[in-house]
Amino acid sequence: MFKAKRRTVVTVAAVIAVLLAGALTVTLLTSGKDNASASQGIVEYQAGHRPLAPSVTGTSLTGTAIKLSSYRGKTVVLNFWGSWCSPCRDEAPTLAVLDEQYGAKGVAFLGDDVADTPVNALAFTHSVGITYPSISDNGYLVVADFSAAGVQVSDTPTTVVIDKTGHVAGMVIGGVSYGQLTTLIKDAAVTS
Amino acid sequence: MTDVHTPQSQPESAAGEDEATKSFGESGTGAAESGAGRTSQPSPGGSEGPASRETDPSAGWLRWGWRQLTSMRTALILLFLLALGSIPGSILPQQGNDPASVQQYFTSHPGLAPWLNHLGLFNVFAAPWFAAIYLLLFASLVGCVVPRTFRLVGAARTPPPRAPRNLARLPQSSSYSSVLSPPAAVGSAAAVLGGQRFRLRRSAPDGAEHGAADHWVSAEKGYLREVGNLLFHLSLLGVLLSIAAGGLFGYKANKLLVEGQSFANTRSALDEFHPGRLVSGSDLAPFSMTLNKFTASYVESGESRGQPSNFDADVTYTASPGAKPGTYHIRINDPLSVDSLKVYLIGHGYAPEFKVTGSDGKVAYEEATPFIPANTGTFLSDGVVKASDASLGFMGVFVPTAIAVNGTLESIFPAADAPAVSLIGYSGNLGMNSGAPQSIYQLDTTGMTKVSGSPHVLVPGQTWTLPGGKGSITFVGVKQWVSLAITHDPGQVPALVCGILALAGLLLSFFVRRRRVFVRAVPAASGTGSVVTVGGLTRSDASGGFEEEFAELTAEIAAAERPGDGKPESSSHSEAGA
Repeated sequence: MFKAKRRTVVTVAAVIAVLLAGALTVTLLTSGKDNASASQGIVEYQAGHRPLAPSVTGTSLTGTAIKLSSYRGKTVVLNFWGSWCSPCRDEAPTLAVLDEQYGAKGVAFLGDDVADTPVNALAFTHSVGITYPSISDNGYLVVADFSAAGVQVSDTPTTVVIDKTGHVAGMVIGGVSYGQLTTLIKDAAVTS
Repeated sequence: MTDVHTPQSQPESAAGEDEATKSFGESGTGAAESGAGRTSQPSPGGSEGPASRETDPSAGWLRWGWRQLTSMRTALILLFLLALGSIPGSILPQQGNDPASVQQYFTSHPGLAPWLNHLGLFNVFAAPWFAAIYLLLFASLVGCVVPRTFRLVGAARTPPPRAPRNLARLPQSSSYSSVLSPPAAVGSAAAVLGGQRFRLRRSAPDGAEHGAADHWVSAEKGYLREVGNLLFHLSLLGVLLSIAAGGLFGYKANKLLVEGQSFANTRSALDEFHPGRLVSGSDLAPFSMTLNKFTASYVESGESRGQPSNFDADVTYTASPGAKPGTYHIRINDPLSVDSLKVYLIGHGYAPEFKVTGSDGKVAYEEATPFIPANTGTFLSDGVVKASDASLGFMGVFVPTAIAVNGTLESIFPAADAPAVSLIGYSGNLGMNSGAPQSIYQLDTTGMTKVSGSPHVLVPGQTWTLPGGKGSITFVGVKQWVSLAITHDPGQVPALVCGILALAGLLLSFFVRRRRVFVRAVPAASGTGSVVTVGGLTRSDASGGFEEEFAELTAEIAAAERPGDGKPESSSHSEAGA
């Protein structure tokens, strides 16, 4: 009698488990597949939980050497962009304005120009009035460095804010607004 | 699934005989309790109703449903449905592989396409109904295999059943008279059977089990059949699990790469990215690669002139940042393997290099611009040049081997032997600063005006100075691009291994038979020696041959005790169709 009862319980449990697994899998298989919109957004890391930015080195659009570690002691706004990218061109004037406003307040701006040619990129920065340098990153190597450091720059444009100690304080994936970036810069100042 | 070969039971048949002929997987020691246990269980797939149990009705229904689900018939139907369900996946264009064709299908079948889309037929393998079949099949297999495993383990541990009383009733039987005493005759037979790797069970040594002396040996062979059967089922589960793992943890991506360019395998560098459900950006293998050179060879003459003869993409790659770079020649069907990734060459085309100067005389654009083949035979290709910072845009046609036919350019060969571009120039705002993402292969001319009426043709090195001092464009040269498919399918190798194992298991279960041989010796009527009866029984003897095996065995058993002449005076018979 006990045996029969236990068998029933096991069978029922198995059926329920199978149904749950089925429901879970169907949900996983059919849930929204629009990764682009899901990846849009703001990521912020609290002080003490900030991933260390990778030690990036590169060449600027004009051919000078750039080392991310030489910016230690300043808050760094690192913008991943390309002159071919419409949202990048859209946000660029905002970045140019913020660079002017925050440049004197210990905030350095830096670009990472992906899948682009220096000629195209410089033509754009000149036309929009951006004066800060950009790393020429045709092959997305800096993006890969950040990826290896646990910071997923999953779309172009993406703007990463690095605090004075060289840790990633936050980022905006997709076009950035004035308000979003000033908030991130302020929050990045709190380092401990 | 109890398709056991059962001789028609006679009303007077003894309990021992029932035991000998019942399911091979269920041989228990206690005939009575094991038999009772079976009859109370409705056979899987049978028509027995749910209300046949004494427990409460809901549990009965569940039990009945579970039994239906785990029956072989249901599993076969589900397997068939799975095959049937994947047919639209190969007939209709699929969202994952070929979104452009899906779009095209929508335009050409505006009435039908939305309905097909509702049914998930443009993404069959992610459709809920497909998942339902898949999961039910999975549940069915699990429900079938798990109890089977326990049964097999049980069967492997139990000795063969007792010898039935009347061996002459078995499908195969023969008898001979022996000079040995009954225990010695049985012992000799047991030695022969044991030597042939039969599993044995002997009567009690003193031979007095049922009061009178009874000497017998039961032997059973062919457990590998169940092992094969089990292997097949488990491997089938493995195949399903591997495919599921591939779908959940794998990804597919496409990347267009121009000669001289490089890219790192990151989410934003990829043109198209189709991750599995449980893949995130950090799961991408950190390799990077540069396309050094792409070579396409074409048949130069004859009927198949212009047909491709060889493609070769010469790449340099690093498996991870800082690792030692390697080189590889990716060809069709010869992908590059990096870590667990495979990089396939799936397409190629031309990327004419342009230099655009604005009205201020400054170079605003210098880039090899990928053009998309409109004709894959002649590689006549379309593309656009977007020099937004010179307020200039161009729509172009690239012709690899150009001849002029009635004033228009035609391509007569796919190789870039005499390249030319035909450009239509536009000036004005390209709309690229609006923030809305734009295709790099399309030019939005709404805010622009045509620079000249007719298209302008350039060959490499030539410059077109635009009228009105708007600037100029130079056709610098031609590069090629390749289209790469990057796939990560962690389920591929396990699925292959499981597939091979499933086949092996299936073969094993086809070719190995479970068979039982019983030997009983009784004292001869004359007083000395004994009469030995040998009986044999096999399960569905599909491949045949048991009759011969039995005859050989009988001869060997008889010969073993009479080393002189091996000819037993047998009265072998077989009951055909029993």
